[in-house]
Amino acid sequence: MSTDMAATAAAGPVPGKGAGIEPPLLELAGVRAGYGPIEVLHGVDLAVPAGSVVALLGPNGAGKTTTLNVCCGLQRPSSGELRLAGRSVTGASAETLARLGVCTIPERRGIFPNLTVRENLWMMTQARSWPRGKQARSWSRGAQAQPGVSLRDVEEIAYARFPVLGERRGQLAGTLSGGQQQMLALTRALGTDPAVLLLDELSMGLAPRVVRELYEIVGRLAAEGMSILIVEQFARTVLPIADQVALMLHGRIVNVGAPSEVEEHLSAAYLGA
Amino acid sequence: MDQFLQYTILGLVLGGIYGIAASGLVLTCTTSGVFNFGHGSIAMLSAFLYWQVRFDWNWPTPVALVAVLGVFAPAFGALLHITIMRGLRETTEITRITVTVALTVGALALANWIWDPTVPRRFDYFFGGTNQVKIFGSRITYHELLALAAAVLIAVGLRFFFYRTRTGVGMRAVVDDPPLLQLTGGRPERLATLSWALGAMLAALAGILITPILGGALDPNALTLLVIDAFAAAVFGRLRSVPLTFLGAVVLGLANNYVLAYFPSERWTWTSNFRISLPMILLFVVLLVLPQDRLRGGTITRARERFRVPTMRSAVVWAVILVVGMFLLREIMAPAVVNTMVIGMTFAVIALSLVPLTGYAGEINLAPVSFGAIGTIIAYHYGVTGSGVDTRMTVWGLLLAAAVCAVVGALVALPALRLRGLYLALATMAFGVFVSTMVVADTVPRVLPLLHVEFSIFPNGTLNVPRPRLGPIDLADGGTFLMVITVLFAVLGVLMVALRRSGYGHRLVALKDSPAACATLGQNPVRLKLSVFMLSAAIAGLGGALMSAAMVSVNPDRFVIFVSLGLVMTVVVAGIGYVSGAFAGGLLAGVGFVALQNMFDKVGTDHASLSSLFSFLSQFSTVLPALIGIGLARNPTGFVDDIIRAFEVFRRARVMLAAGLALQAAIYLLAYTDTFSNWWFVALTVLLWGIWPRITPLVSDRLAPAVRARRAGAGALPAGPADGPAEVPLELVGVDVPLTDEHRRVLDRALGLPETAALPGDLAAVPGRVTPSAGIPPAGTLVPAP
Ligand SMILES: Nc1ncnc2c1ncn2[C@@H]1O[C@H](COP(=O)(O)OP(=O)(O)O)[C@@H](O)[C@H]1O
Ligand SMILES: [Mg+2]
Repeated sequence: MSTDMAATAAAGPVPGKGAGIEPPLLELAGVRAGYGPIEVLHGVDLAVPAGSVVALLGPNGAGKTTTLNVCCGLQRPSSGELRLAGRSVTGASAETLARLGVCTIPERRGIFPNLTVRENLWMMTQARSWPRGKQARSWSRGAQAQPGVSLRDVEEIAYARFPVLGERRGQLAGTLSGGQQQMLALTRALGTDPAVLLLDELSMGLAPRVVRELYEIVGRLAAEGMSILIVEQFARTVLPIADQVALMLHGRIVNVGAPSEVEEHLSAAYLGA
Repeated sequence: MDQFLQYTILGLVLGGIYGIAASGLVLTCTTSGVFNFGHGSIAMLSAFLYWQVRFDWNWPTPVALVAVLGVFAPAFGALLHITIMRGLRETTEITRITVTVALTVGALALANWIWDPTVPRRFDYFFGGTNQVKIFGSRITYHELLALAAAVLIAVGLRFFFYRTRTGVGMRAVVDDPPLLQLTGGRPERLATLSWALGAMLAALAGILITPILGGALDPNALTLLVIDAFAAAVFGRLRSVPLTFLGAVVLGLANNYVLAYFPSERWTWTSNFRISLPMILLFVVLLVLPQDRLRGGTITRARERFRVPTMRSAVVWAVILVVGMFLLREIMAPAVVNTMVIGMTFAVIALSLVPLTGYAGEINLAPVSFGAIGTIIAYHYGVTGSGVDTRMTVWGLLLAAAVCAVVGALVALPALRLRGLYLALATMAFGVFVSTMVVADTVPRVLPLLHVEFSIFPNGTLNVPRPRLGPIDLADGGTFLMVITVLFAVLGVLMVALRRSGYGHRLVALKDSPAACATLGQNPVRLKLSVFMLSAAIAGLGGALMSAAMVSVNPDRFVIFVSLGLVMTVVVAGIGYVSGAFAGGLLAGVGFVALQNMFDKVGTDHASLSSLFSFLSQFSTVLPALIGIGLARNPTGFVDDIIRAFEVFRRARVMLAAGLALQAAIYLLAYTDTFSNWWFVALTVLLWGIWPRITPLVSDRLAPAVRARRAGAGALPAGPADGPAEVPLELVGVDVPLTDEHRRVLDRALGLPETAALPGDLAAVPGRVTPSAGIPPAGTLVPAP
């Protein structure tokens, strides 16, 4: 089912992204992965069509974070394939994938607590360095060379969108409030113009108002045509901006479809009915 | 005034060099989170190598400097990271400390191997000692000027690097969260390798610069310790801040020189010892004022070491086996060997002190032998009766030694217990160095103020410690001593197991896992740690007093910090969570490796044609413990655990165990009747127990079907439902063995849940894999814990 989806998406138009760059598209095919002897993902097929927002929903422990870890290269699948814009990048390191345009905001920890806000922004500019190694180069071939991005550019974008970060540029990021920390983390997506954005539980431990604010920004990025994979436990927050919803249970995708289609399965999945 | 200026400048120079060394340490510590106790040994090896290429091979100075500072040191640092330190990221603090301690011990052995320590070596000031400039009337050599300039340059350069370059900022980021750095496109491995290369280079520079200033003689121990002095500066900088580190280093250098200038060395005989001990005293003071760490919850790192808890019954059985075995061994040992064995057993007692502290509570004491020194001194001065050949140590003397050590232990540990484990390690190491440079170095008798008696702690540099007498049992006889110390070890060992199984033991283990959780449960972590540290220090003191009594005559060399480091390392490698680990580690550190070396030496002299091979093997056995210690990164639970696992095959093959024991008895009898020498006995015993567990499964596989058939026929032994799962503690199911339905049933019973027999058939058939259509797993399905 998901392969069909990928095919239609690849054939479809590419909204938002000008400059004739072939849009990267993230795809997992038959991925199995786990921790040591314990397998957590039992064959996951998932595709993020170019320019669309896919929400990956599921209860605690379903394997959502593990799926994202495979997507961003932090975890190597024991079998199956990870594809970026149709090219297999299975086994690429996380830093290579980051430089190829996969921007991941991990669960809880999207920032370096012991660096200042400004230094955190500086670290973000690394994502636009040229990938190292022959193979990584071959992966990035075809994609137009992205110019590097300077600290000043990122600072400008960040402070314009979140003035509060500008006021606190010299403060240690670990001393910011939870919402401000997530804003800082999101800046990476704003400032480095990634091909795919992976978000893991952006809402964790935050007040509803802050969550709404953050997802407003995600919605705006989506409207600009960024491909986004959102992992959430609380479905209501993401259903409005999602084009597609994948429902995950016990390491398998059990349902994929438009938000309205999947919605009725949701409560059943969460309540175990 | 002139004198003041002169000493100030020299103090700044010394401080600058300390700063260079300490900043290298801070650099590696910030990026990799590993505090490198072996930093000093990098400096030491580099200084030796510099001597080698510059003065032995007569390379020109610039070439020699480039070879050492530009090639050897960075390559060595990078190699250390890639081969060893990288693997330490998910291990506990104890493992990290032990591995770098092993590096120290190994580097010392290596230096003594390559550069024969009996040949004096030295090198002097760059540009010679006479090329001086005059600054405000005080003389300063070009070399000192160079050192000062290098220090300033490095201080400023590092500050700039850490805050004004993206690579430097990345290095500060990497310790927080290496995966996150990857996600932003950074390369944490490369940064860490780079930092180790730079750190090693700074250590090398410090080593080469400091050697001439302190007299020019190259001595591995002294050079290693010199850079260890820089630890105080690094701790002053909280292992993070370069400017604070340099500030601390300058204070250290100045203090050192002012003591030299203004302390009346004739009247105060301890002045020079005090000066040498100063960095460690300052380290202690810094620890005292360092702000408290926040309590940590469960660490995110996944600890790879797991110690199983023995039952009381098995503890007692093994204690009896130990005593009986030692008795049998004693019968075939020559008197000299008996004495060596006694020393080994006293080491085992000292090693035992680490089991509750390190094995259970997860805190480390890097100077157990120094507590032994305190115990020795107390027992010598206050626990001796009789005179002449009848001089004996009393039981009260031994108990007093233990009690005093407990108090001293409390004083040493108290400042560091608020902090994380590394700081306790540093505090104990400072204490250990202090004991060897100040306490046992107090050899000149002097009149005590007020008391007006002549006294010195370690009169004339040798203590003749008498053997103890315990009521009717006189330990002057080696054989008796051996049995008494073995019984003592066995009793203490059983007590340790009882301690582990008690509520107190559980609290200790809980403390190791999560101090924060302990605090929320109303425990006082500091009090708990203090009590276990005092207990540990008391055991170490007792063991140390006995060790000195076993040696009869001891000198301060017995108590240098490296003896402690070697012991700690060996015990951790053996398995610090087990009493048997203390036994194996203590024996190995006390006598094992020395015996191995002696054996190779002896064989080498017997067979002249192969003497070079055997002298190689003999030297190699001095480096061996360190190599094993470094290997700890691979197997943090220790080798005793491997042995225990290997011997588990005998649980199902009692016949094979009996056969093995019979063979052992035969070997013993042959040795007992002097049919062959004890070397053969040792070799054959090792061979037997090395092979036997491996062939047992082969044999029993062949026998087992027959046995099972017979059993089934008789129907006498219905397989109990808990039969299989009971072998593995439930919390390790799914980690050590695959999860089965049997486990699930046991768990359900334990949790009081309804039996899962009602499960759909397909679910029960595929354990751990729940089909999605089945929805939420039924109660009783295990979700493996992270
Ligand atoms: N580091 C780990 N080691 C072992 N098991 C883990 C680890 N991280 C997660 N798991 C297990 O993998 C499963 C899926 O976890 P995760 O992907 O974090 O779920 P989610 O993000 O959907 O809540 C869980 O059962 C969890 O216990
Ligand atoms: Mg998650």
